Amino acid sequence: MSTRNIELVVPPRPPHFVGDGFRVHNFIPSSFRLTMERMSPFILMDYNSKFYFPPSEQPKGVGVHPHRGFETVTIAYKGKVAHHDSAGGGGIIGEGGVQWMTAASGVLHKEYHEEEFSKTGGDFQMVQLWVNLPAKDKMSKPKYQALNQDDIQSYELENHAGTIEVIAGDYKGIKGSASTFTPMNMYNARLQKEAVADFSFPQTFNTALLVIEGSILVNESEEVPTDHFVLFENDGEDFGIKATEDAVVLILSGEPIDEPIAAQGPFVMNTREELVQAIEDFNMGKFGYLED
Amino acid sequence: MELLNFKKYLNQQWGLPKDAIDQLCDGIRTKKVKKEELLLQAGEICKLTFFVEKGLLRMYALNEKGKEDILQFAPENWLVSDRGSIYFNEPSDYYIDAIEETEVVLLDTEFVDKISALGPSFRKLNDRLLHNHIRHLNKRVKLLLGASAKTRYLNFIKLHPDVLLRVPQWMVASYLGIAPESLSRVRRDLAKENFKQG
Repeated sequence: MSTRNIELVVPPRPPHFVGDGFRVHNFIPSSFRLTMERMSPFILMDYNSKFYFPPSEQPKGVGVHPHRGFETVTIAYKGKVAHHDSAGGGGIIGEGGVQWMTAASGVLHKEYHEEEFSKTGGDFQMVQLWVNLPAKDKMSKPKYQALNQDDIQSYELENHAGTIEVIAGDYKGIKGSASTFTPMNMYNARLQKEAVADFSFPQTFNTALLVIEGSILVNESEEVPTDHFVLFENDGEDFGIKATEDAVVLILSGEPIDEPIAAQGPFVMNTREELVQAIEDFNMGKFGYLED
Repeated sequence: MELLNFKKYLNQQWGLPKDAIDQLCDGIRTKKVKKEELLLQAGEICKLTFFVEKGLLRMYALNEKGKEDILQFAPENWLVSDRGSIYFNEPSDYYIDAIEETEVVLLDTEFVDKISALGPSFRKLNDRLLHNHIRHLNKRVKLLLGASAKTRYLNFIKLHPDVLLRVPQWMVASYLGIAPESLSRVRRDLAKENFKQG
């Protein structure tokens, strides 16, 4: 048993728009020290902090764009997102739901506010993560895992003080619903005020959390407010959090993928040559076709 | 601004050694351009050539219907300017603006004087650049006059492999002189030929 200490508490950067539907703070890779290499296998995190979108007849979102070489994981906290892809897939991610899309060898997709949500408007809050794939799986077949909140197994904290929803990995024997290519843990901790939860991950796993709602005390010492990100040192295994008000916290911990990263726009490969190939394949229609 | 690309360009295109490059870059003007910010407007006399250190510019004209016709994209390491307006000191017909947040090096007559003073090879190299520009323009006119949408598209992705990823499709269609629907059709047909599921 050894404590994992905080390396950095990162406030949200000024937001920018992705398309016209996602107003995001980027944490990984553009915040200080949160590089793809340091955070691997989590190579991008865009956080749409709670933001009110007024009613719109035309759903806002991001038009057709490709991905290759990694997975996108979209976690919906408020609002709903509809998505479609060039392999004929599509669906709606509702509140508490997760869409785990393995882009791998390549898909075209588009993401919009779901039609009804768009018409009524409302608070919108999402996280999108990019999870890297090891070289051997980068060109595997694309696939989807759509998880509604009901599909996600959760661990009940003592005295009904909260739940740990296990999206991926394992928490005290509760298995995550999503399958992953490399070892990792991804949880939503939903805590009532004063609830405590402890976590233990191998020391080598890159580990972080994001406070989605409320505020927490980490390792009984550091108060972390809403929308702040915590990067942990790789100096121990265990840390604890305590909700200082009702809180929702996204917890991430994964084994780093120790391979070179070559990234450009929506492609994350291992070499420059593979990036050039990805761009050529996209231009030549090898990702399929999707109407804008 | 670090000017890594610009320095590399001066070394590779102009064959300049490090001390000459440092001398040229000393006090050189640069600018951070916001998305959609204009660097040149029709009616103005163009005084500057823009070297794109990072980002993406475009040059366009407004046609009779008030629609934008894109003449050129200028991603990293490209130069863009209205050479005619500079040389003949006459009002430009064109606009230059940024599609992304862009860092540019501003090349003015003072810079041209400075680089000319470095040796006689400047004139030769400038001639070469000018003729390369003419060759490129002629090819573009030829494609616009007689090539199918598919041929235009295939030439475009060879010249600018990553621009389609960085700009809305209608801009690429405008550059190619085709309707956005025609570009969609070309891309759909290519996908039919090349997309193998699984």
